Amino acid sequence: MSDWITITIDGKEIQAKPGELLVDAAARAGIHIPVFCYHPKLDPLGACRMCLVEAEGRRGKMLITACTTPVADGGVYYYESERAVDARQGTLELILINHPLDCPICDKGGECPLQDQTLEHGPGKSHFWEEKNHKAKHYPLSDLIMLDQERCIVCWRCIRYLEEWEDKPQLGLFHRGGETVIDKFPDGKLDAYTSGSIIDICPVGALTNRLARFSYRPWELEKTPSICTHCGMGCNLRIDSRTHRIRRNVARENAAVNDEWICDKGRFAMGFASHPERLQEPLARINGELRPVSWPEALDRVVRGLKRVVETHGPAAVAAIGSAKLSNEANYLLAKFMRGVVGSNNLDFREGSAVVADPRGIPSLADARDADVIVLMGCDPGEEMPVLANFLKRAVLRGGAKMIIVHPRAIELTQYAAAFINPTIGAESAAFDALTRATLDASDAIIPDWLPEVEEAAQVAGISVEDVREAARLLSQAKRPFIVYGVDYAWGYGARNLVTALTNWVVAAGHGERLGFLHSQANALGAADMGMAPDRLPGHRPLSDARARRELEARWQTEIPTQPGLSYGAMMASTPDRIRALYLMGADPVGEKPADAKALAELDFLVVQDMFLTESAKLADVVLPAASYAESRGTFTNTERRVQRAPQAVRTVGKSVADWAILMHLARRYAPDKKDAWDTPSVDAIFAEIAEVVPAYRGMSWENLGESGQQWPRDAVSLSRELRPHSGAAIPPSPDYPFRLVVGSLLWDGGTVFAATPQMAGLARQAAWLHPDDAARLGVQEGDAIEIRSRGGSIRTFAHLDPSIKPGSVFAPYSFPAAPVGNLFDDYVPRTSVAIEKVT
Amino acid sequence: MSGLKDVYESAREIGKAMGLTLKTLATEKPITVEYPDQPMAVYPRFRGRHELRRYENGMERCIGCCLCEAACPTGAIYVEAEENDPDNPISPGERHAKVYEVNLLRCIFCGDCERACPTEAIVLGHYIDLASYDRRDFILTKEDLLNPPEPNTIIRPAG
Ligand code: SF4
Ligand code: SF4
Ligand code: SF4
Ligand code: SF4
Ligand code: FES
Repeated sequence: MSDWITITIDGKEIQAKPGELLVDAAARAGIHIPVFCYHPKLDPLGACRMCLVEAEGRRGKMLITACTTPVADGGVYYYESERAVDARQGTLELILINHPLDCPICDKGGECPLQDQTLEHGPGKSHFWEEKNHKAKHYPLSDLIMLDQERCIVCWRCIRYLEEWEDKPQLGLFHRGGETVIDKFPDGKLDAYTSGSIIDICPVGALTNRLARFSYRPWELEKTPSICTHCGMGCNLRIDSRTHRIRRNVARENAAVNDEWICDKGRFAMGFASHPERLQEPLARINGELRPVSWPEALDRVVRGLKRVVETHGPAAVAAIGSAKLSNEANYLLAKFMRGVVGSNNLDFREGSAVVADPRGIPSLADARDADVIVLMGCDPGEEMPVLANFLKRAVLRGGAKMIIVHPRAIELTQYAAAFINPTIGAESAAFDALTRATLDASDAIIPDWLPEVEEAAQVAGISVEDVREAARLLSQAKRPFIVYGVDYAWGYGARNLVTALTNWVVAAGHGERLGFLHSQANALGAADMGMAPDRLPGHRPLSDARARRELEARWQTEIPTQPGLSYGAMMASTPDRIRALYLMGADPVGEKPADAKALAELDFLVVQDMFLTESAKLADVVLPAASYAESRGTFTNTERRVQRAPQAVRTVGKSVADWAILMHLARRYAPDKKDAWDTPSVDAIFAEIAEVVPAYRGMSWENLGESGQQWPRDAVSLSRELRPHSGAAIPPSPDYPFRLVVGSLLWDGGTVFAATPQMAGLARQAAWLHPDDAARLGVQEGDAIEIRSRGGSIRTFAHLDPSIKPGSVFAPYSFPAAPVGNLFDDYVPRTSVAIEKVT
Repeated sequence: MSGLKDVYESAREIGKAMGLTLKTLATEKPITVEYPDQPMAVYPRFRGRHELRRYENGMERCIGCCLCEAACPTGAIYVEAEENDPDNPISPGERHAKVYEVNLLRCIFCGDCERACPTEAIVLGHYIDLASYDRRDFILTKEDLLNPPEPNTIIRPAG
């Protein structure tokens, strides 16, 4: 306690940390000084005067704001003195002069700090009888946020949040005195991806959730601590429901993951849960048509259908596709069902085994916040993980971190980058060779003979030698770097070489252990942990590991086939030749690539387990309605290996059933003799089994995961990081297909989960992005209809001209059903070349 | 001796009372109400079946604030609010009740909902004919509440 100091509040001595704010020191001692403008995650401002206390000073006692005053050693303060109490009452009376009496219709009412503090600290009556000032009410700031200017108490929290965390000053105060209003800037918009955070932190009902508007009163909500499943970050949130309908999501604090922020997708895109098109009951194809059937009948049909294929073509003709959006339990049971009951290793998920990911994800999300150097390679947190993007911006702006970005596009974060390297698409490995070489040149390490000269490699990659040397220098000198690569460089042609090349650079810089893969999907890491891969058992143990197999065989009462299965791409390519039956759980390959509808229609047997009647489900023999994650219990493992709980928040829709329960009942029907192996009547029991068979999860249980989850130890899966040669020659451009296709995710996409929230439909914009120079050459203007063709197929979409696009490339975002980029892939992986034509 | 006096006193009292009875019998009509054939008179502050009131211009008073629901000790009220269409508002202001239900089987007619309402929308009226053969009839919908059998209950005297 030596570095603590003593202060006195109302005659009581309390311990405080030097330099800490009086309001914080007092709170620790149980004295809760009321505040409005002060927020622990924002810079102190002293705007509202709610926190007035008296302080003993050289010229006697004076009123100070506790939220801006650092404690002084031996400082004497009075919170309950008559003058302080009077001053706070006066402040409240003043705030209330123009405050409307809206509480009964105000969405904040019931959880409103202004109400609460008026009750506790207010004067009880007003001296003011005149008419109140009138300002704009129910004024939409965006599709998502409603403003009531009359209710605003001018605390600046929203303004500061947008400036300090988003670096997007999109709100400001206008006019003066009692006329002051909060508003957007003229012609400005409020479109920061975490804009909804200002709803959570507004201390009154000035900023409210437009999608949840008037649909709840705070006191009647069921509050379920859960997580967001839109991206691999796994932000913690709370699902507030009533009458089993989700009313709103609000952020939940987890210091290690999302601090106390969530992005607007997590907050607002929740319409999937109560969507009218959700599947209500099982369907089976009877006389060529999908008709409702009972659960027992549906399951019996699945059993019969799969068994028929196994008997005629053998178990290797059955394949299953899981989902990186579904829980560990669902994926584990699907893998267990396929390997342990059907007897097939044909298991994968989209962006599964074909992605050259680090199975351990990233070392830790918290590293991003105090990093001194940030390296982003082939990932775009700005669109994929907005909360992480905010941490990165803040590390640069406040922590002085240097950011290095290597990306096919000038992503939004590029404006914060100390070095932006934009290699020729198809020649990225050369860029990393240059970086590796520059790093080694600057050290006294031995240079492997396969490594080209900096100049030579830089020329192949089309990048400047200075940028290379600067980036190499920054990373070599880093003390606490945050280094991640993403799916853009880890999936598709040449990805394996590319990942080897980028790893070489990080290893050469001496930070091999800090390199990580940023999983963009909610449970991509978890699904791999569960063995949702053609050649990996749960816990990343290879299929060839006889001991691991024996352990599982004993538990699963089975014999696991030793022949590795087919990957996602191989499965789809060999449908319907080698694969005769397909089980899709939360996967929609036809939605990804409509051209595959024909192959799927020719299958002997197709089962789809999903929330909606997807394009694939329309072809199915049996459709099993699955509950959404909010309607079932499950665990998800985010990109920093944090296993987190998502308890059931609302009851299931219609006759839909949780994924794990469908699989359990199916397995029991399929193999009654394996009853003991499938005695897993609850998520807790399945998770207990997972904790036993996945070594990294040992010791975990639903209970001890707690409300902030547990990370599995990074050394539970070993991976050697060393300099390795690669054969990553540049992919030559093709005359017929002159453009490189760049794919990636946008936050506002047209995917099922997002499209199910109709109020957000206006945010998503289907387009392919072109550099204006390329567009000019093609005679294409903004908004023109264009056709993109590849060897694999074609799509039609609209042109969006954007200078952030590298000339010679076209950026086509995923998840727009009307422009399915999957059609353009060869062999079901990206990184291909295309031709573009204007549609007239 | 007092015993004889007591008997005399008692007889006198009985005689007096009987006299009143006979007098009333002769001069006043019976006050028994032949309910339900005849309507039952209730006191002005009697708390009977609920109703939702409107303003003179026909607008609904209820703003869907759910305070009645919160005040109700038996959980008899269910409200779902909705935003007013500015061109076609149902109540003054931004918000109205989309769903409003009172479950009379739960209600104990305490009147707390009436006291909680900031707009004097929900009131307990004088209607008491609440018997029914069907339990569902005891869930009063917003439609039922806006169109009470005996409308326009005055809840507070003017001034
Ligand atoms: S902001 Fe708070 S005090 Fe103001 S009307 Fe809303 S609930 Fe009432
Ligand atoms: S809108 Fe809310 S957060 Fe913003 S200044 Fe006004 S009261 Fe503060
Ligand atoms: S009268 Fe009392 S019990 Fe009946 S609905 Fe109103 S508050 Fe509830
Ligand atoms: S009846 Fe009154 S208290 Fe109940 S929701 Fe309507 S306005 Fe609010
Ligand atoms: S909380 Fe201290 S001035 Fe606002």
